[in-house]
Amino acid sequence: MQISPHIGSQLVDLCSALLLLTCFAIVAQRRLSACVDLFALQSAFLVLTAALVAFLTGNPHIYIAAALTGVIKVVIIPRVLKKVIERLNVKRELVMNVNVPAGLLICGALVMLAFFITQPIIPLGFLLTRDSLAIALAIVLIGFFTMIARQKAVSQLVGFLVMENGLFLGATAATYGMPLIVELGVFFDVLIAALIAGIYTNRLQDAFDNVDTNHLTTLKE
Amino acid sequence: MSVSTDSLFMLFWLLLASYAAGILLPFCAPRKPHIQGMVGSACSCAASLIGIALGLSGLVAAEPLTAMLPAPIPLLAFAIRLDPLASFFVLTISLAGLAAAIYAMGYLKEFHGRVSVATLAALTNGFLLSMTLVVMADNGFFFLMTWELMSLASYFLVVTEHEKEDVRHAGFFYLVMTHVGTAFVVLTYLILFQSAGSFSFESFRHPEQALPEGMKTLVFLAALIGFGTKAGIVPLHGWLPYAHPAAPSHISALMSGVMIKTAIYGLIRVYFDFLGGQFPWWWGFVILVIGTLSAILGVMYALMEHDLKRLLAFHSVENIGIILIGIGAGMIFQTYELKEFAALGLLAGLYHTINHALFKSLLFLGAGSLLYATHTRNMEEYGGLLRRMPWTGLFFLIGAVSISALPPSNGFVSEWLLFQTLFLSVQLPALFLKLILPIAAALLALTGVLALACFAKAFGISFLALPRSAHARQAEEVPIPMRVGMGILALLCVGLGLAPMIVVPLLDRITGPLTGASISHKILALDGWALAPGTVQFSSISPPMLAAMLILSGLLGLFLAVLLGGRLMTRSHKTWGCGLTLTPRMEYTATGFVQPMKRVFSTIYQPTIKLETEFLEESRYFAKQRKFEFHIEPVFEKYLYDPVVNAFWGIADRLRILQAGSLHLYLTYIFVTLVILLLFAV
Repeated sequence: MQISPHIGSQLVDLCSALLLLTCFAIVAQRRLSACVDLFALQSAFLVLTAALVAFLTGNPHIYIAAALTGVIKVVIIPRVLKKVIERLNVKRELVMNVNVPAGLLICGALVMLAFFITQPIIPLGFLLTRDSLAIALAIVLIGFFTMIARQKAVSQLVGFLVMENGLFLGATAATYGMPLIVELGVFFDVLIAALIAGIYTNRLQDAFDNVDTNHLTTLKE
Repeated sequence: MSVSTDSLFMLFWLLLASYAAGILLPFCAPRKPHIQGMVGSACSCAASLIGIALGLSGLVAAEPLTAMLPAPIPLLAFAIRLDPLASFFVLTISLAGLAAAIYAMGYLKEFHGRVSVATLAALTNGFLLSMTLVVMADNGFFFLMTWELMSLASYFLVVTEHEKEDVRHAGFFYLVMTHVGTAFVVLTYLILFQSAGSFSFESFRHPEQALPEGMKTLVFLAALIGFGTKAGIVPLHGWLPYAHPAAPSHISALMSGVMIKTAIYGLIRVYFDFLGGQFPWWWGFVILVIGTLSAILGVMYALMEHDLKRLLAFHSVENIGIILIGIGAGMIFQTYELKEFAALGLLAGLYHTINHALFKSLLFLGAGSLLYATHTRNMEEYGGLLRRMPWTGLFFLIGAVSISALPPSNGFVSEWLLFQTLFLSVQLPALFLKLILPIAAALLALTGVLALACFAKAFGISFLALPRSAHARQAEEVPIPMRVGMGILALLCVGLGLAPMIVVPLLDRITGPLTGASISHKILALDGWALAPGTVQFSSISPPMLAAMLILSGLLGLFLAVLLGGRLMTRSHKTWGCGLTLTPRMEYTATGFVQPMKRVFSTIYQPTIKLETEFLEESRYFAKQRKFEFHIEPVFEKYLYDPVVNAFWGIADRLRILQAGSLHLYLTYIFVTLVILLLFAV
């Protein structure tokens, strides 16, 4: 089956847009387990995008990266996070550094910023995925913003993982994915980071009876 | 004589393998510190023996051994080159390493159950290996890596007894200073890299475009500060009297004996090899002045020290100064194209380098033996140890004679050569330098005298008279491995003093290519039995004959005594003490011994003396208790180190506002920086 490059490009853009949409959903969502579900959904979209790119370009190693994304980010990490949430008995994010409406507005601004920054770069590209670069950057920025806006360690971790998704998308968009060895390294890092953060959250709970990272200020000398 | 490159290459791999085994094997015997220590020390012994063979064959080899392994990082290559200069330092390191390793077999018992012996043994092997690689490295990048490894290994060895507050402080001081030094060494190499376009030493020697004059000066200064910090030149010596005593004694021996010599290697490599001996006269002058200052101040502060290991550490500052006097004089002669004299100065400096490595290691091992036997470093608590520890006493005496440059020791030969170099300054065209070099010679003579006084004190107070404390009364001779370790070094000290005709031609193979003048046939007169640096008429000396004369005149004295004074008899009587019973409290103390020097040089020491007397209530004619305190002003710490440290604290305090402790704030910092940078990118 052959798909014309134009339609292929449109399909990739569509998938990327879905990724961005889930970002906004995460920012708007207060319930932690829903946040994790949304992250899993976002990762699933990422798998779809990557598979699409792999199919369009006939690049076998992107299939492998996509499969790994599926296993690690759609199955393992959400499961770990769910367990942490269950153990900690923290259901909702009550207090935020930035409230939801303001957060959404800021995220909108970040998307604009991302498009503004990538505007001069995109026409230089010749890959069919080039338009996704702006979206990838937006996802990275929104992920980062989530880490700042939320106070619970679990949602900060979700923010971090969203950032990572953005980076993966960016790599796929800009160069059809990094070399496989680099991807493997990154996956390993992300997995370890998720595990460490999970442990860290548990320790936080033990130490302060709470997973509010604001309590860490007391560690200052 | 020539050695095939293949056999050299094999020796090099054997050396690597032995050290690697020494790093890994101690960990294979968990919970058996005795075995860990033995295995680690045996590996370093084997590796040091190979190192000695490698160093010796490298010195006589016709062509330098080179080998290279490409590395995955650009500009880095694991390149080694074993030219005579490198071989000489490999030999020096391995000789001291061998003695220290044998010594450690006994000495490590001190640490069983207190610290991890496996870690200690592995780090010692790593330390020796990194030092060996530093002098072999043929690539700037690789050199810096091994240099840093050496610094880190020695840091962890210094903080072996990290449960003690002062050890942690010493370690931190050392770590900071060594990194300041490394920063300047990096700067040196980066400047050289600028013109060479590559980090290989070969390209440093023959850069694509020659360094401009200003850059050359910068290289000179950066190398001087960088390597000088490691060498412990005044005023960058501050860390040395803290760090060296804090380490276990066999490590102190290695640090003081050989690690600081890697800096001397670095200086010679940069000035004579990379810059090809092309420099203005004031470079040599600066080195000479710094060397003289280090020598005289080092020995003066040593004199006031009553902690034996700190005393020895200050003597390292002195001896580095003496070595630098030789190098500085050599550089001055090199500027004026007096190549033979330049070679002589450099040769004297190198001779003193290996001598100092031997006798300073010996003395530190001796100090370690005293520590092992008495568990204290304070000299005022020793006394009468010669009777209890005769072997240690003999070896320490040999070390003391060598460091005081008395014939027939090795220290005498090298310092004599140094004096000759300085006297040859009459041949210099510049009047200023003609005047300066003899002044340096005079100060060097003063240094020698003070060193003699210092070791008369160190040996006399420690080993002679009555024990001053319970520690000293209970002391016993140290185990055999420790005695063997010291014995090897003592033999070498005497050997190098008696056999300059073997040492000088070997050293000439180093200085010849560096200065462009071979001088061994000129120095060695009377078939090698005498040394005559200028002409035989100018000055000459024969160390073996001198030794023979000393022994003969001693025997003659004995003979005359027997002839004139009657039979030698042993009469056993109590020493007459004016009717009082003699106690250790009546002995000369170390503080009392140096009182005259303290008076004479009070401008330098700026001593503060506090005497508090508590009188009996009945009469002011009788004192109940007297308290005496004496401090010398730590000039360099007060006026150089403290202001810098305080400035840093001030800046750090101000910057602490940024550190609120809030994770979100930190994330915001990063985020804002990112967004701003992205906006700039557009």
